[in-house]
Amino acid sequence: MKEKDDSILDDLNENTLSRELNDTLMELGNIGSGNAITALSKLLDKKIDMALTILKVVPFWEVPYLYEDPETRVFGILSKIKDNDDLIFLQLYTVESAINLINGLEVKEKSPLQKDKIKVLEDLDDFSLSIISEIGNIVAGHYSSALANLMSIRLVPDVPDVALENVSALIDSIIASNCEGNNYSIIIENRLNLDELEFKGHFFLIPSMETIAHFIHALNLKYDF
Amino acid sequence: MRNNNRIDLVKDERKNGEIILPIGHFTLINSEYKNSSKPKISIYGLGSCIALILYDKMHDIAGMSHILLPSSKNGQVENYPHKFADSSVKDLMNEMKKKGAKLDNIKAAIIGGATIFKHQDSKIGVDNIRSIKKELRKLKLKISKQDVGGFKGRIIKFNPNNYSILVKLTQEADFKEI
Repeated sequence: MKEKDDSILDDLNENTLSRELNDTLMELGNIGSGNAITALSKLLDKKIDMALTILKVVPFWEVPYLYEDPETRVFGILSKIKDNDDLIFLQLYTVESAINLINGLEVKEKSPLQKDKIKVLEDLDDFSLSIISEIGNIVAGHYSSALANLMSIRLVPDVPDVALENVSALIDSIIASNCEGNNYSIIIENRLNLDELEFKGHFFLIPSMETIAHFIHALNLKYDF
Repeated sequence: MRNNNRIDLVKDERKNGEIILPIGHFTLINSEYKNSSKPKISIYGLGSCIALILYDKMHDIAGMSHILLPSSKNGQVENYPHKFADSSVKDLMNEMKKKGAKLDNIKAAIIGGATIFKHQDSKIGVDNIRSIKKELRKLKLKISKQDVGGFKGRIIKFNPNNYSILVKLTQEADFKEI
């Protein structure tokens, strides 16, 4: 049974969130990405730094500018966590970053990828694509299971979908349904840094209004706010 | 609620005489501008969105919108009619007619509607193409140029001085005129 929280909608139209909602969403980002990055760290056997969650309330026409330069070439890994695009988890890694990471793996020492040769996804060899897919899988899985455990609800991501594109062209299909009924998106952002391999990434959790209400309800039930 | 100051109308140019058109916004170019100083209109990341260009060469009027979704469904009063294909076509036509464009002279160009993530069930790019073609047909507007579909994003530059439309896929080096 979905519970609609009208006050969230009012807040959103005025481009502000209540302090409580703000803090709650930030905490979800911290917990989700903390778990994801710990898992990624183990997978790569490297230390990964994580910045604190950034919470953004963005008018739909500004969403493509999540990166300063809308023409930044990125690998986008899209995971849908609930039906109807109610909860979207997006990982973005610049092409340069991803190539640095892949080339930093021992296996690739003899045949490193060259950045100017990777223009489209089809330019990647199977091994490299599988690395990216695996990272996508592990990050999405651990991020969502951390939130699921926190709230005692079910959150299982679909198999991640990978694309290589300009960040602004990649984002519009993702926010389309999120912005259908309202003009603002709530975006929970985390950044990670693996200095040793010059690898950087962004996580974006994009919940619908209904999902946020669902989260609040689940947290209230469990933690008796 | 429409008034004379449309919040979704873009007029601001960058220093190089270029208007960057964000999602859900539109622009109108007519002979208010002196010869050859009309700004070019660009979109740097057209994924599943559709760029709609309507132009009337005879009366020297052009309009462009950046559309996100196929249909406004509820017909709700919308501050951003250009978010949706159906309301965008109607609105752009009306705004152009207000400036003196005539239905018989108006031609349409549509660009975009790509599918960037291939494994999703919903194909918003495909739906956008279908919807905009339907709306243009309804209003009896002829599509004179199109570059739609596929799996890659596009960059588009429209020059209202000579009505040229340059398009390239994001990974390509050179623009092509459509």
